[in-house]
Amino acid sequence: MSSWKLSVDDSRCMGHGRCYTVSPGLLADDEEGFVTLRGSSMPIGDDQLADAEAAEAACPERAITLERGS
Amino acid sequence: MTAPTEAGTFGGWPVVHTDYRVDRPVFEHYALLDGDREAAPFLRAEFTPVPFWMVTRYEHVLEALQMPDVFGSEVINAMDPRMDIEVLPNVLNPPEHTKMRRVLNRWFSPAAVRRLEPLVLSRCVELIEELKPRGECDLVSEFAIRFPTEMFLATLGLPVADGTQFLVWVEKIFAGFFGHDPQGAMQAQAQMHEYFNAAADDRVKNPRDPETDFMTRMVGAEIDSEKISRHDLLVICLTLMAAGLDTTRSALGYIFYYLANHEEERRRIIADPSLTAKAIEEFIRIYPLVFQDGRLVKTDIEFHGCPMKKGDVVWLGLASANRDPRKFSQPEEFIVGRPNANHHLGFGAGPHRCLGMHLARHELVIAINEWHKRIPDYEIATTEPLTERGGQLSLNKLPLRWKV
Repeated sequence: MSSWKLSVDDSRCMGHGRCYTVSPGLLADDEEGFVTLRGSSMPIGDDQLADAEAAEAACPERAITLERGS
Repeated sequence: MTAPTEAGTFGGWPVVHTDYRVDRPVFEHYALLDGDREAAPFLRAEFTPVPFWMVTRYEHVLEALQMPDVFGSEVINAMDPRMDIEVLPNVLNPPEHTKMRRVLNRWFSPAAVRRLEPLVLSRCVELIEELKPRGECDLVSEFAIRFPTEMFLATLGLPVADGTQFLVWVEKIFAGFFGHDPQGAMQAQAQMHEYFNAAADDRVKNPRDPETDFMTRMVGAEIDSEKISRHDLLVICLTLMAAGLDTTRSALGYIFYYLANHEEERRRIIADPSLTAKAIEEFIRIYPLVFQDGRLVKTDIEFHGCPMKKGDVVWLGLASANRDPRKFSQPEEFIVGRPNANHHLGFGAGPHRCLGMHLARHELVIAINEWHKRIPDYEIATTEPLTERGGQLSLNKLPLRWKV
């Protein structure tokens, strides 16, 4: 059971690619170079928390949010 | 227009006359930009025919880049708001810009860059091997521009052998961009349009796989069910060329200048090439080449205390933001792996962030690693002071020598 949620804001994500570069085990790039999670969110397990934090911190557009999920 | 308030200020902010378009000793532009940023978050620049607002600090620069409705791209260079050379899609605003970027993104994505890797690597190695026995070269004109020119042609599926002809045109275009020879630039623009036009004609007659060939895809590409016009396609091609070549050359110039002068850092990278990607990111932070993005104010706005009026030209200071101590601690220090290095604005931000950033990073990493495998030790082969071009920074030359 996960208690965290990682979201990528579609309107802010510009495809810098820093998130999937720092956390390749968690996030991936699409054909256009955007993170595949763009415009949606995913549950984050405890074992993924460090990667999720790194991805959130890497975004120059502040498009990524890691927050407590339900 | 905002009325002057007191001597040396405008709209309450300091007036500056420093000319950022002229050649100066290496790194002097950064020193001047650092000085302006620490003087005030906003300044009124009066060194060009059209005065403009300078936005100097990281937080404000990032915010403005993310506000295309207020800061429009009708102007993309504050120092030359009326550009003679046509470019696309830089001068578009969302939603038109977004649609054209969607057509272009896939050719410059990390996936596209990965597909090009074998060619990037083999051409890079060939160029270095060609120079190595000579024991000397001007890095700027004999390596740093040749490599990205060929990679640009490869990305567009054009013959790499055309690189030599391209270099002549490219130099003329850049001379025009920075105000030295506008007529020569217009001529080169016409010649390059002719070149791209012939390539487009060829793909209409002899189409290749539109999944892997840029030109084949582009001659049939549509936006909103309307075909991209031939003229726009030629402008796009020229823009990609102009955007990708000078910047990569410039980055290589500054990187080699630094590594030639800092043996310890050079040894660290040679000993552990996995550091190179992080080093490149820090190089782009500390030595940004496009030091400003121009914008046009679309609506009256009091931007954090700066009274901007509709029609004003704005300079968003990418370089001064990258060196802002409020954002990056010890900004003048080259620190590989600094925690927030990814936040630099060397590739811009917002909808116009650099299309070619993934290709650029990849080219730089390969160039640095392959060069140092073959020529690990070198020195600057002149005692004359080196200079950098204003407008958009680039070392004018970098003579290197090494033992053969």
